[in-house]
Amino acid sequence: MKTEDKLPPGLPSTHPDRRGEVSFAYRFSTATSPLAVGRGLGGLARRLFGAKTFLINRIAFGLVAVLLLLALLGPVLAPYDPNAPNTNAALQAPGAVHWLGTDDVGRDVLSRILTGATQTLISAVLIVVFATLIGVIVASAAALAPRWADEVVMRVCDMFMSIPSLVLALGLAAALGPSLTSIIIAMVAALWPATARLTRGILRETMTSAYIESAQIVGMSRLRLMVRHAIPNSLDAIYVHASMEISGTIVMMSGLAFLGVGAPPPSADWGSMIAQGQDFITTAWWVSLFPGLAITLSAVAFGLAGDAVRSLADPSSRRS
Amino acid sequence: MDARSPILNVSALSVSVPEKLRIGGGQGDLRLVDGVSFQIRSGERLALVGESGSGKSMTARALMQLDRDVVLKGSVCWDGTELLGAAPRRLREIRGAEISMLFQDPMTALNPVLTIGEQVAEPLLVRGVSKKNAYRKAAQILDRLHVPKAKERLRAYPGQFSGGMRQRVVMAAALVAEPKLLIADEPTTALDVRVQEQVLDLIEEQSRELNLAVLFITHDLATVAGLAQSVVVMHHGKFVEQQNVDDLFSKPQHPYTRGLLASVPRLDADPNRRLLTVEDYMANHGGESLG
Repeated sequence: MKTEDKLPPGLPSTHPDRRGEVSFAYRFSTATSPLAVGRGLGGLARRLFGAKTFLINRIAFGLVAVLLLLALLGPVLAPYDPNAPNTNAALQAPGAVHWLGTDDVGRDVLSRILTGATQTLISAVLIVVFATLIGVIVASAAALAPRWADEVVMRVCDMFMSIPSLVLALGLAAALGPSLTSIIIAMVAALWPATARLTRGILRETMTSAYIESAQIVGMSRLRLMVRHAIPNSLDAIYVHASMEISGTIVMMSGLAFLGVGAPPPSADWGSMIAQGQDFITTAWWVSLFPGLAITLSAVAFGLAGDAVRSLADPSSRRS
Repeated sequence: MDARSPILNVSALSVSVPEKLRIGGGQGDLRLVDGVSFQIRSGERLALVGESGSGKSMTARALMQLDRDVVLKGSVCWDGTELLGAAPRRLREIRGAEISMLFQDPMTALNPVLTIGEQVAEPLLVRGVSKKNAYRKAAQILDRLHVPKAKERLRAYPGQFSGGMRQRVVMAAALVAEPKLLIADEPTTALDVRVQEQVLDLIEEQSRELNLAVLFITHDLATVAGLAQSVVVMHHGKFVEQQNVDDLFSKPQHPYTRGLLASVPRLDADPNRRLLTVEDYMANHGGESLG
């Protein structure tokens, strides 16, 4: 075993008075650990599709993969122009020409569902990503801030959460005017407080662990402590929350569209398609039924996937 | 600087929890450490002993000002500057680079998602040392602490290490920035006896080689005997006795110290006699007031 008696010369001094000035960019690059985040994601992906995954989980992930693929390719796969009216073929029952029938102005229901998938699923994912990002940032700030600021932020979250999120989103979306962007903004505004509260709780717990304390005595700033040590160790719970949120978001977005604050017509949105078909649901059931099925299927698939992510992240909740 | 003048001079240090932050209520501020004074010279090994709750750890944590909710009074003078009330920036500069700390449980003291290298090099990275140099130095310090294949181990995760190895890694992280004082808060309590001895030997070895002052906190008098040069006995937040190590064991002054030493059970004692406790000693001295 070799022991060097002296530390080698030439290494930069760590003494505060003698250290060289370094750029902010350099400090930032050493403060974050993209590796740690990447490893977290990679490990999750391996577990998602690994050999030991339960059948039900694999089905869920398979469904989600198919849905996301459809969301990306939907407009290309659609057999007809989703917005072109064809009064000669109005309200046709499902059959060989129009697989899922046509609506009251003769637009192909299948084409509209496929086009709508892009809108609904992609924006649901976007909403959850943004809400989680805002939630995590707010929670980190609250956990770093002095006690009173933390209290203020959390009471603001409480205020948001005291209004049912659907009502809040409905009001905001109506105020912003009917467009996809306004729906996304409204939903993010309605969802972030829950994420922030949850994340703050998790971060607080992580911050009390011994390794955070030992990292602190190394002399790092609290910001670095948060970004490099506390957040990577809380990611598991954040992934789980985000994946569970997606299914609820899909249902809520469709609900908003159904109530008429979604993307303006003639854009194909699952929720507004149901609303459009409800006038003649007794005679032409297919106009409402198929978009409804699409919503249900997506919500169930993402819900199952969320469950699966949770069971993977937290072994104690695994079904035996 | 004169080698005999103390690098750390603590005088009349008190730690208390303000009334409104006391858990479970209670009246008045809760005083955890009550006016303690001591000095550490460079290269000196001082042990702080006492039972659980006597304020040993709080004293150490107060030096680093780790707790946000306690009120500190008195003076902590490090290398000529006062630390109590110093700017957070100045404190950050001192933590890790001049005063470092080892914690009780090496199993939880390492971040599970970062590699050993990232964690050992961190005190250097925080201070703007380049990654390459920081990792080089991390490997060297691990090597110094007898971690085999230090270079390859930098990429390993804490989960791949045993308890004794982890305590070495924690120690490497504490020593990598070449501090002048190491505060060791019961660093061997969570380890088995054999590993304990290795860790104690390492601390002593590093202290000798690097002229590193050590404040060693423990409740185990046996570890004190081999390691420290002088000992402070703490009870109810106060120092009851301060002596050099040989004198403490041969002629303890305070009844509490005598009680502590005598309550270590002896193998050759008469099994039919009740073992003496600290309270017996205190009672024999008319219940001298301590706290």
